[in-house]
Amino acid sequence: MRIIKDTNIDFMRQRKLAFIISAVVILSGVISLLVNGGPKLSIDFKGGTLVSVQYNEDMDITAVRSAMGKLSVDGQDFDFSREEIKHFGDLGAVLIRVPHIDDSPQNFAQKIVDHLYNSFPGMVPEDKSDFILGKGTVSPKIGSELSGKAIMAIISALGLILLYISIRFEFRFALGAIAALTHDVFVTLGLFSLLGYEISLPIIAAFLTIVGYSLNDTIVIFDRIRENIKSSKKESYDTIVNRSVNESLSRTIVTSLTTFLVVFILWFFGGEVIHNFALAMMIGVIVGTYSSIYIASPIVIQLHENSIK
Amino acid sequence: MNSKLTPRFLIIALVLTWAVWAIWPTIQYQRLSEAEKETLREEGKLEILESRTIKQGLDLKGGMYIVLEVDLPTLVENLAINKDAKLQAALSSVRDQLLISPEADFFALFSNISNDNNLKLSRYYYDFGSSNEVILTALGEESEDAINRVLEILQNRIDQFGVAEPTIQKQGNQRIIVELAGVQDSDRARSLLESTALLEFFIVKDITTTNELMVKIDQTLRGNKDISSIVKDDSADTKTSIEKDDGTVSVSELFGESSTENNTDSSSVTPSIVAEQPFSSLLRNLGNTIGVPAKNSYALRKMLELPEVKEKLAAVGGKFVFSNKAQDYPTVDGDVESVYSLFLLEDQAELTGGVVEEAKANLGPQGTTSAGQPIVNLSMNSDGARKWSIVTGSNVGRQVAIVLDNKVHMAPNIREKISGGGTLIEGFANIDEAKDIAIVLRAGALPAPVDIIEERVVGPSLGAESVKRGTQSVIIGLIIVLIFMLMYYRVSGSIADFALIWNIVLVLAVLASLQATLTLPGIAGLILTVGMSIDANVIIFERIREELRKGKTPRAAIDGGYNRALTTIIDANVTTLIAALVLWQFGTGPIKGFATVLFWGILISMFTAIFVTRTIFNSFTSGKNLNKLSI
Repeated sequence: MRIIKDTNIDFMRQRKLAFIISAVVILSGVISLLVNGGPKLSIDFKGGTLVSVQYNEDMDITAVRSAMGKLSVDGQDFDFSREEIKHFGDLGAVLIRVPHIDDSPQNFAQKIVDHLYNSFPGMVPEDKSDFILGKGTVSPKIGSELSGKAIMAIISALGLILLYISIRFEFRFALGAIAALTHDVFVTLGLFSLLGYEISLPIIAAFLTIVGYSLNDTIVIFDRIRENIKSSKKESYDTIVNRSVNESLSRTIVTSLTTFLVVFILWFFGGEVIHNFALAMMIGVIVGTYSSIYIASPIVIQLHENSIK
Repeated sequence: MNSKLTPRFLIIALVLTWAVWAIWPTIQYQRLSEAEKETLREEGKLEILESRTIKQGLDLKGGMYIVLEVDLPTLVENLAINKDAKLQAALSSVRDQLLISPEADFFALFSNISNDNNLKLSRYYYDFGSSNEVILTALGEESEDAINRVLEILQNRIDQFGVAEPTIQKQGNQRIIVELAGVQDSDRARSLLESTALLEFFIVKDITTTNELMVKIDQTLRGNKDISSIVKDDSADTKTSIEKDDGTVSVSELFGESSTENNTDSSSVTPSIVAEQPFSSLLRNLGNTIGVPAKNSYALRKMLELPEVKEKLAAVGGKFVFSNKAQDYPTVDGDVESVYSLFLLEDQAELTGGVVEEAKANLGPQGTTSAGQPIVNLSMNSDGARKWSIVTGSNVGRQVAIVLDNKVHMAPNIREKISGGGTLIEGFANIDEAKDIAIVLRAGALPAPVDIIEERVVGPSLGAESVKRGTQSVIIGLIIVLIFMLMYYRVSGSIADFALIWNIVLVLAVLASLQATLTLPGIAGLILTVGMSIDANVIIFERIREELRKGKTPRAAIDGGYNRALTTIIDANVTTLIAALVLWQFGTGPIKGFATVLFWGILISMFTAIFVTRTIFNSFTSGKNLNKLSI
């Protein structure tokens, strides 16, 4: 069985169109980021409290909202009715996210859980430990440290990859690869912002995996270009690049398909906790495949042409 | 069979045998029932088995993860021999700076501020040396020592609490990470860790002094603009701040629902009395003691922090301390409200917990006032017993408050001099609480307070759900990829499938022998490995197809395909390995689990997809002349 027969698609002629599409996607992502004041960060980076609980029956979010509107701990009143409150998996599970408050009472997460437990008697499991799905509190202090570390991680990964490709290939290949990676991360970040999903620690891990995956794809094509340059000196540079993309297309499609399938299954079956992680990976697989063909390779041509002039 | 192939088969056979051997304990462990585990535990064999299995992370098993930070400024403040306003001002400005830049080094900041303000540290720390530098170094060593002691004490407490496989480790120079798997009552574990276990005995000021002080505080606060803001403040403050970042008004608010609710919940006192007696109007008379309704306690705490109130307290040499729990009292209109007790204590402790030799939780003996109630029995060392007998002897008839972590547990009247050093504490909600307090008292007080700066709890049901969903995804993903490869590459696909299955088994075997922890992102990494590690075979097979199309014989096509694909596969995988390594370096807990799986998955796929499949292909093509290759 073969999905892709011998192809001769002129990918490089479509590159202007591809650049425009990418630019539009990235631009709308950047605009969304600017409008929202940066990416929506999870409590991992911003600090705050996250609580998820399981009721015996389906819960109405409006009811939870109104309960969260009158939380009182020792006379200190809180109105969290307009914070993020949503279902978590099934309709009986509820997730609540509350920002960090400077003089919040001790053990605040538990106080919120207790309040949610007491507000709906008769709908909760008898054992409170069955009621709590999870809770977490992160101080802004830890959050800001982690943000710094995450940025460092992404930058150092990019730096090391740039170094490796420069050694194994040429510097312009490295630039092409980095351009593709930056493209991928920005597109995913922008789409997350447009969809209103938050950036948490696992999402950063997904980003780095996307970086690795997209690169994997790019390098297979680069490898073909390197090989073809050696064997045929007569053809023009962009013909060689185009032929290389075509020759590796069948592999690109098969691998992307298998990877996409497994990530899709993870997204579909993996449960709430891993849902957004899988979504980031799904976007990443598509964008990574696209960028190795339409971003990385054209940039190598462009840089080659510039160097001749 | 070609004799050249034999060493290759030998290597493969060895690796596969090792993999089965390494993964076997995990399979064995999974099949054990709880009862069988219990028997093995009694025989001491369970630990040996456990040490060879893949561990489940907290996100799969359920449990709690806590990061504690030792409060260095307070530690240094406590070390000072005499504390004056100047030192406290310096320390509080260090605290402020730490809030802005949390990663800054405390001692560097303290050094700068001391130098800027010409603070002579030898005035406060003459025991540690004479020059600022020497003292700062000594304080640094002292704090390191203190953190090690905190670590030891926490270890001790957790051991006595009884949790299977606790992990307690130091991170950096002021943090401690505690991981407790499978803890059901996270609340209880939390208070066990957080408690400073500072036990103090204070004499309670007499009722006349207390009443006079309250009148004075009322006078000071009368007409104070800040007060009205405090009493209503609590609800108004949070509300406005939330309104600011949202801008919308909820339906309930439009109909005035939430505001009426808030009024009944928050500090409810009629305005005229508040104006007249801002302080005492928040209190209730509980006969011998002063009561603070829980709903007023936030306002009252805020009031006690005001500088003018602090001044009045300092003038009489006293401090207000709340009771550890609220009790229910009937109100005038027939309702029940929960009320804390408030005590005015001498500001110097008569005795501290350092003298405690033994602490035991018990039920109060019959025939006493605490019969049947949970209590903690204390016995003191000889020095403590002597001091305690002096304190009790000279204060007969007065109340003594037993204060733990700045909360009054009980304040009994001293009937007679206590000479043996034995005493008991009551005022616990249940026997578990009494047991926990006994644990912390036995393990000793922390040299410095600790703050919980990160806490994550995963309930057991969510963990079990994650395991179920994760395993399901891996199996479905694996089956789909296996079928796809079989359809697309036929016999060759089945060879790749064989390699893929061994790839997964080997990753698990490596995890088991590294005693690595499998987390939910780790399972995701496993699924990703399924998708990505097939890539090496795809690259090779596509190459072989190309060679075949050029008209080469199957044998030559296989050789050519493998040779030409090799560099591509290595180059492509090294970059993903780089990403995995960076993640491993940066990540904590779950992320590290993901990186570990990804790293080994890719590395092993190079062995299975290149070495193992090649060997199988070779054994097919060697000897006989193969005309057709199913690919």
